[in-house]
Amino acid sequence: MNTFYSVLISGLTVGALYAIASIGLSLVWGALGVLNMAHGALLTLGGYVAYAAITGLGLPTGIGVLAAVLAGAVAGGLIYLLVVRNVLRQGMADFEANVMIATVGIAIALENGILLVFGGQPLKQPVTVDGSMTLGPLVLPWQSLIIMVAAVAAMAVIATALARTRMGRAIRATAQNRDAARLMGVAVDRVYLSVLMISGAVAGGCGLLLSSMVQLSPSLGNDPMLKAFIMCVVAGLGTLPGAVLVSFGLALLEAWVQYAFGARWGFPMLLCAVVVVLIWRPGGLMGRVQVRRM
Amino acid sequence: MRALIGRPAAFDVTVALLLIAAAAMVPVLVDSRYVLGQITLALFYACIASQWNLVFGFAGIFSLAPLAIFAVGGYATAMLCFFLGWSVWAALLPGALVAVAFSGLVGLACLRLSGVYVALLTLAVTQVMYLLISTDTECFVQVGTVCRQLTGGPGGFSRFGDLGTRELLRGNWMIGNYAIVCAMFVLVMASTWVIVKSPIGLAFRAIRDNPGYAVARGVNRFRVQLLVFGISAFFMGLAGGVYAGHFQVIGPTILQLPTLMFIIAIVVIGGVGTFWGPLVGTIVLVGADELMREAGEFRTLGLGLIIATAIVLMPKGLVGRMRQLFRPRPNRRAPTQVENAK
Repeated sequence: MNTFYSVLISGLTVGALYAIASIGLSLVWGALGVLNMAHGALLTLGGYVAYAAITGLGLPTGIGVLAAVLAGAVAGGLIYLLVVRNVLRQGMADFEANVMIATVGIAIALENGILLVFGGQPLKQPVTVDGSMTLGPLVLPWQSLIIMVAAVAAMAVIATALARTRMGRAIRATAQNRDAARLMGVAVDRVYLSVLMISGAVAGGCGLLLSSMVQLSPSLGNDPMLKAFIMCVVAGLGTLPGAVLVSFGLALLEAWVQYAFGARWGFPMLLCAVVVVLIWRPGGLMGRVQVRRM
Repeated sequence: MRALIGRPAAFDVTVALLLIAAAAMVPVLVDSRYVLGQITLALFYACIASQWNLVFGFAGIFSLAPLAIFAVGGYATAMLCFFLGWSVWAALLPGALVAVAFSGLVGLACLRLSGVYVALLTLAVTQVMYLLISTDTECFVQVGTVCRQLTGGPGGFSRFGDLGTRELLRGNWMIGNYAIVCAMFVLVMASTWVIVKSPIGLAFRAIRDNPGYAVARGVNRFRVQLLVFGISAFFMGLAGGVYAGHFQVIGPTILQLPTLMFIIAIVVIGGVGTFWGPLVGTIVLVGADELMREAGEFRTLGLGLIIATAIVLMPKGLVGRMRQLFRPRPNRRAPTQVENAK
């Protein structure tokens, strides 16, 4: 029974991490219609900034966390200002592919920049909480609890912001129809900038949490980014709660498959799930489907 | 007829003949085996790039599976040689056909998807292949005292034979391999040229430019998609087989993301959707890569920055920019989106 619970806990923890990662991706995808392939690099950046702030500069933990989130936001904003805005301005029909390629270039550059500055060997993230608590038969490490709480909190905060604030309404309007939003006076440029900065901030925080479980290395963010993409795709474009739910579900499934068949079969199983879902429902499980019959 | 072909065929043929002449001169002028080997490797990249350009540039399908198909071709050739005892030359064609079958599966899965979904699916396929091969550790067959995995594992699949130039040419085998790879590249480019200029090529471009209108005019989108996947897979699989024969090993490193990014960068910098783009891009990027080899650790960083700036500044690539420079006529192509900058 103990293995059942430990697999459950680890699956939920990993699911929470993927959920946080996919929140940022889903936001950008819903609002801009592009895939930010530099998301994984932003994750890594967040982890390393916290490490540098706490271990390198000796600042307190809270400041380190804040620094990671801020670094992610700044990086996200820079990505928008320098790259995404210019590609969108070119007005080409396949701008999604161009943005993907450009952000891939940035991701490579960022990852190698981190490699040059910090070196390639894995580092230990100082922002960790050791120890665990026991709830009857469950052994719940504090770190996992923090991560799960953070995931739910992040989703709640962003969902509330989207639903209640003016900027949230602007983001939703732009996601639904960019030109109509522009005609109604929404500053689309600023909306895009905010979306990328929010997504970057969330990615920075996620990287911080992720690196507390796995060690810091320059290619930290690549795998989670790909899995978060998969979960966004399976959940469907534009549904934030859907992305979070699917993240938890798929992570649990992956944990079970890895426990039953071995670690190398987890990702292929995810891929099969994606293929099946996309063939059955091309818009994702819960997305707004626009089926153009041709 | 002129309007159908677009750029006069004479231009393309002249350039091709010049390039073939230059390629023939290379072994005479270049003494170092390292440089010749690098040029051969660059020709492989150019092959893959030209086929990815066919799928993405001409047909508009943002597939990220070219390396997976290339690897399938290479692994199939190597496995046929090892497990069935064929020679590399005999296994090249079947290997390419296996790659076509594989790409058919991928194409079927992508049929109902568009845009970024295809990219994600194919990227995931490549990653899964890489992970499965590089974590393959159980012994499939015992050769003497050496344990061989089914796919060769992280070290790669080796000891299955080679292109046969070592016996024939002894010390000059690299020149022989170079000639074989050159011949394959010329074959691939010539076939691509014929396809692009043919009605099939027009169908590809129709699907890319306006799928709804193309379907209304009777172009079968599914058939075209499967066709472009199959054609590009045949040539990529063939190139994969020759790659396996040339290097005498094929490993999962060919499936890694940096290689994919390199191929994409080649096509982007050369010019997406142009015929000579991949070759131009290969020359520029492989040259830049060699120059940056001195810079050591800054190489990949430089590559990433080059990709990002090239997309932002030169979305049509070098060939597109040169076309704009040498055609003083106003650009007849109307913008597809009425997108005015703020």
